[in-house]
Amino acid sequence: MKMTRLLLLVGMICTSLAVFGQRTITGKVVDDNGEGLIGATVIAKEAPTIGTITDFDGTYKITIPGEVTALVFSYTGFSSEELAIGNATTLDVTMTGGVYLDEMVIVGYGSQRKSDITSSISTVNGDDLRGLITPTFADQLAGRAAGVQVTTQNGILGEGPRVRIRGIASVNSGTDPLYVIDGMPVYSGDLGGYASASGLGDLNPSDIESMEVLKDGAATAIYGSRAANGVILITTKKGKEGKAVVTLNSVFGVASPVNRFDLLKTADFITISNEKRTNRGQDPWAIGNTYDTDWQDAVLNNNAFQMDHNLSISGGTDKTKYYFSTAYANQDGIAKSNSMDRISIRTNLEHKLTKWFALGGGLSISRTAYTGLNTGANSLSGNVFNAIRQLPNTPILNPDHPTGYNISENNAVVGQWDNTDPVGDNISNVAYVLEKNVFESTIQRTMANVFASADIVKGLNYRFQASVDNPNTGGFLYWDPIHGDGSGSNGRLQNSTDELLRWNIQNILNYNTIIGGKHSLGITAGTEHQKERNSNFFAVGTDLLNEFYNQNIVSNAYAIQESGGGATEVGIISYLSRVNYNYDQRYFVQASVRRDGISKLSPDNRWNSFTGFSVGWNISNESFMANMSDVVSLFKLRYSFSSVGNTEIGSYPYLGLSGASPYGSQNGIAFSQFGNDALTWETSAKSDFGIDLGLYENRFNFTFDYFKNDIDNLVFSEPVAPSLGVPFNRINKNIGKSINEGFEFGINYDVIRSSKFTWNVGANLTLMSNEIVALPNGGADIIGGSSTNTSIAPNIIIREGESMNSLYGFQYWGVNPANGNPVYIKANGTLVQGDVVTSRYYLFDEANPSVLGESSTLSAADDKVILGNTLPTYFGGLISKLTYKNLDLNMVVRFSGGNKIFNSTRRGLFNQNLNNNGTEILGRWQSPENPGDGVTPILWASSNTFLNLTSDATTRFVEDADFIKLDNLSIGYNLPSVSAKRLGIAKLRVFVQGQNLLVISKYKGLDPEMETSGVDINGTPRARVLSFGLNVGF
Amino acid sequence: MNNILKYFALVVFLVGINSCSEKDILDLTPINNISVDASFSSPSLIESSINGMYNAAAIGQYNSTNINGGRGYIWGSAFVQQGDNRGEDVVNTATFYQLTYTATYNPNTANNVYYWIDGYRLINRANLVIEGVTQAVADGIITSEVGDDYIGQAKFMRAITHFELVNFFARPYNETAGASHPGVPYRETGVNTQGEIDSEILKGRNTVGEVYQKVLADLDDAEANITNTTLTKASRNAAIAFKTRVYLHMRDWDKVITEGKKVETEYALESDPGAPFLNSYNNTESIFSILQAETLNPGVNAALASQYKRRTLVCISPIIWRDLDWLVDDKRRLDDPANPASLVFTTSGRKYTNKYKDVVSYTDAAPVIRFAEILLNMAEAYARKSDLVNGLSYLNQVRDRSLADPSTQSYTGFGSASDLVGAILKERRIEFLMEGRRWSDIHRLQKDDLHPIDGIPAKVANGNPAAAAFELGTPYTGPFGVDAIPGNDFRFLWPIPQDELNSNPNIDQNPEW
Repeated sequence: MKMTRLLLLVGMICTSLAVFGQRTITGKVVDDNGEGLIGATVIAKEAPTIGTITDFDGTYKITIPGEVTALVFSYTGFSSEELAIGNATTLDVTMTGGVYLDEMVIVGYGSQRKSDITSSISTVNGDDLRGLITPTFADQLAGRAAGVQVTTQNGILGEGPRVRIRGIASVNSGTDPLYVIDGMPVYSGDLGGYASASGLGDLNPSDIESMEVLKDGAATAIYGSRAANGVILITTKKGKEGKAVVTLNSVFGVASPVNRFDLLKTADFITISNEKRTNRGQDPWAIGNTYDTDWQDAVLNNNAFQMDHNLSISGGTDKTKYYFSTAYANQDGIAKSNSMDRISIRTNLEHKLTKWFALGGGLSISRTAYTGLNTGANSLSGNVFNAIRQLPNTPILNPDHPTGYNISENNAVVGQWDNTDPVGDNISNVAYVLEKNVFESTIQRTMANVFASADIVKGLNYRFQASVDNPNTGGFLYWDPIHGDGSGSNGRLQNSTDELLRWNIQNILNYNTIIGGKHSLGITAGTEHQKERNSNFFAVGTDLLNEFYNQNIVSNAYAIQESGGGATEVGIISYLSRVNYNYDQRYFVQASVRRDGISKLSPDNRWNSFTGFSVGWNISNESFMANMSDVVSLFKLRYSFSSVGNTEIGSYPYLGLSGASPYGSQNGIAFSQFGNDALTWETSAKSDFGIDLGLYENRFNFTFDYFKNDIDNLVFSEPVAPSLGVPFNRINKNIGKSINEGFEFGINYDVIRSSKFTWNVGANLTLMSNEIVALPNGGADIIGGSSTNTSIAPNIIIREGESMNSLYGFQYWGVNPANGNPVYIKANGTLVQGDVVTSRYYLFDEANPSVLGESSTLSAADDKVILGNTLPTYFGGLISKLTYKNLDLNMVVRFSGGNKIFNSTRRGLFNQNLNNNGTEILGRWQSPENPGDGVTPILWASSNTFLNLTSDATTRFVEDADFIKLDNLSIGYNLPSVSAKRLGIAKLRVFVQGQNLLVISKYKGLDPEMETSGVDINGTPRARVLSFGLNVGF
Repeated sequence: MNNILKYFALVVFLVGINSCSEKDILDLTPINNISVDASFSSPSLIESSINGMYNAAAIGQYNSTNINGGRGYIWGSAFVQQGDNRGEDVVNTATFYQLTYTATYNPNTANNVYYWIDGYRLINRANLVIEGVTQAVADGIITSEVGDDYIGQAKFMRAITHFELVNFFARPYNETAGASHPGVPYRETGVNTQGEIDSEILKGRNTVGEVYQKVLADLDDAEANITNTTLTKASRNAAIAFKTRVYLHMRDWDKVITEGKKVETEYALESDPGAPFLNSYNNTESIFSILQAETLNPGVNAALASQYKRRTLVCISPIIWRDLDWLVDDKRRLDDPANPASLVFTTSGRKYTNKYKDVVSYTDAAPVIRFAEILLNMAEAYARKSDLVNGLSYLNQVRDRSLADPSTQSYTGFGSASDLVGAILKERRIEFLMEGRRWSDIHRLQKDDLHPIDGIPAKVANGNPAAAAFELGTPYTGPFGVDAIPGNDFRFLWPIPQDELNSNPNIDQNPEW
């Protein structure tokens, strides 16, 4: 099979190019760097129907009639050149002028000229990220590409952003795109340890040359089984021929929370707390107004220092090209106890052994250390959960307590000071916990590749690449024995090691030829083998000898020891091929097939083929458009269709398994996974129709795409009746269908193009919808959606005909003006009030509110309705780049909306225990004469679960998520080159920059992007970063 | 030269392909998990599978994604905490058990949902043990003697778990004649194939009467087959002890006595009422308790010593604390920080149970049934049969050991069977305070002829009661922040979980939920 394919290719190479005519000219078309230009058009001036296109290395051969006196060379993005022939038989030309817009675009396993592409790909230039202080490069993709939605959900360093390409393509399987760095699919999830440690955080953003986001099926099909969520191809910087270029970038910044909660001050706190009690006929709770503490100060940094330095050297000769960089980043988080420290080195080297044979490789070594903290949305020491519940009339410190902190006598909770009761919700003194407890992850990561590239015959390149990605993470955790999370076990010490190793070997043949001047043919074929082994182990000591032991697990320094670990393996074998053909740069066809075999499925089902197909028509290259070429520089229609897969379904999802399940100290095993060897691939059928339009020498570019993803055979963990007792009450099955559908618009306009003044504006907009088409169990609802998080799951649902993970709960009507009871709307439209005295429901009559009507219910089974979709229906960005003389001004504005958020954090701010509240509670119902804001019911001590319905979503806390944000604003100044030379440097740019500067939204929480599956639950505020930096070139 | 290099490149290409064989890359098997089909393939794996069944009883899974990450549902601690918090003899001071305590649960609230889910998870493990062991005996892997012991233990776990569920999700046995009202599905098939799912799902709720019959049949088999005698696994005596509990609910007084007689000489009360808790694995009166180890227990969010002692989430209610029948100098009130056998401790004037002591590694055994219960079950059976002599005698056995001066304080006689039964019922509340027994008494005494309880009694308000509320001398008369719930109210029963209804078309919700 493999040999056949190779022989076929070799056969094709032997096909001779047919040439005929009276006079033959040959030559080479290069750009101003001397690089050959593939696909430049060469036309006989006097006979415009005669022409050819340059070869992959820029060479051409054209046979022309005698009367032709000149050749016209054109290449999209360059000014066309006309050269008189005279007696020459060789004409070389260097294309200059204009902007080099039509660059090569990296595609899977190769590259293509942008104008040849008939699939949907967005490119983000690495330069756009220059100088940004960012925990991961992916955070900065936000707003820069249509169809790509990047959400940074909180301000915790080490938590990767949520990246969705054209929506959510799966329910239970992975929804993250595949990240490929220089051809190697890399680890992108959390890498282990005890602080959040996103796999995206190890790459130095300054090393990125470009990022290609493969969105539609045709672009991603070559990645077959792993492509359902889209692919992000990252190309790192390589050396270029020429003298060594040394670049230094340094940025210094300060980060602060973008927003804070509006909590009650002591005076209001005392009023509200005691009203909770007196309403219920109980004695007051809150006493003492000596202090007025904003406990948010205990968990947030206002001026977190952050810096980023990068030094690179690159250059090369015609034979050897090199790139070397080293970088150091240090960021303090806006959450106290959260930081990142990264040092990284990358080198890329390529050497041409002979004219046709090159060897090379890349090596990246990084060490990224994170410190973290407990951010649990419902953890008693979770930073935000805790801070917003603390009593403002108590101090953080207490010199009389042995620890120096305000902690209760038995060390169980934060001290109550003069208040009559212990603090509600059993919270700890979070300042003590953050000071003492340690959460660390240190990732040592090696990414390396070697390649050999041989031009076997003209047009045929063979490339062998072997790559490895090997992150090893050490974790350390310490919980203080006296107070906080560790007090339940008299302290805890824990060390861990996660070893991840993935290797990947590719053999790729690429063949490009032009037949008869007009038939361009490109063929890619190859194999890919990949395997990974991921293992971890940890050791735990609890009941510590002393709190002295807080830096590493130390033998025998604890009474109870525990250890654990495990390992999984995954392998993939693939055969891939792609053929693209175009006739005369007018008609384009591309087809790709990939056959994947994966270890995750049973031998009978593990092989599957994934196909992609696309066509394009470049109307602007038609002769009938020739007279409009001054206006219309590009007008292309594209259509693609493909089927791709999703394999993020666990390691052995088809097997019936048992798991270690001890009884006390006695070894045990028990049923842990229900087997289904019929389990097969989750497939996603993607279609895309697109239009590319360029006007006035591509000064104005417009891109439009309509896309539709039909996801079928969704691997669903089908709910099984719990009374059957199967593990997790779930079985993995291929049931379920969903559809993502939408439109993308992108424009790019060079508003001003002059040597002193340039202004470019880019904008993109995505409109999209998601619908669940079919579900298992005859279409039964899946309450809890795809979430296993108990703070989120009760508020969402997956229901046929609705958007995935829609909000689900009760409809809130308001407050009964006569007695302050909360009033809800039942599914049948009748109103019921929750009587706070009895915790029961009675009918409510608006005309007669003071009467408790007939006994009624608010039924979880019958009275819940869909409260809104959680997926944005529109989003996009606006990017402005302006240069004037030596000044530059760049701006990114981003917007999103159409989705709803259940603001569970806000519900928490109406807590009815002895805890602080948000200022919104001041609008509570107090009496018929003083009914408050009509939304906030009467206060009633210790009735949180009933009064605020803490187990269910209600429209009382459902809000619109629409926003516009000024994500990024930078002003730079380039030192004039004369002055720079005087300083002995080639160039110098200084800049100031603000990230996350402004949010315009009606959302009442901190930030409408702080949602997970549509639920906002006690996240750490996102960071606003103000920075100053310089770029120096030597 | 060029040709040589070209051939070299081709060789690299071919080697590159062939060096990675399909076997090494695709034929991967789990490193962490034994195939479920091999769970009963050797004597040691079979023994481990038995332990896996007890793991489900001791830990459960709750909402964790880790199969050993549960919160002590159903027998590890939840039966104590839920059983207590459904009753009036404790006060829930924080939010933790509030939904249970104030009866504001619904078909999605975790406490009642995971009682059901983890209960049936344990039942399925028990059923898989029965089938796996039966096959292993047939295959000659273990002897039938060993197999019978294992099967007996599995039947015991299956029986007591169904019995526990039927007490929370169904009306009491005496609700209808013949107990023909809906109970819970009694599962007797191990479900690990699609075919078994398809056939088992068709079986809806058994009647309460059927459930009791099957519970008793299983307990009879357990009694006949179990040879194990250790405390933390099912024993013959545990099966008998449980039958006294079941027959008490069925109001079959003679059977209570018959069963109790079988084992009454095999156990003895400790002289100190604190001893069964001070030495929870090694005392003369515990009959069946669940093992908890320092490395595997329900954890900080569920372990008995964590919730009831270290975190003080639930205190003793002034309602029972100030009850005049509980003598002021009763040893069960002992509150001496210097004496580890004390059953009570005080924080900010509030009274908490000290029955669960290990606040660092949570190794206290969870007490499922102990001898004092057999004695009080028998006392009540005798009393209800108007045998006041025996009734008094069995009651005093339990009560006298806790009295400061039995010679003057011991009960000497009651004017009527009803008075005696009343004293026995009160004694149960004192003796088993914070052992999770209150709910099943409230449940079985609905419509009782002598001492009926109507629904769920009124309770002290959720929250921290004032220290003054614990002052002895007068009975507690209020305020009651949590109103009583009448017996005919739908909230008397827990709703069947919505998850069950969503994926099981053959089961009906309890009325009005």
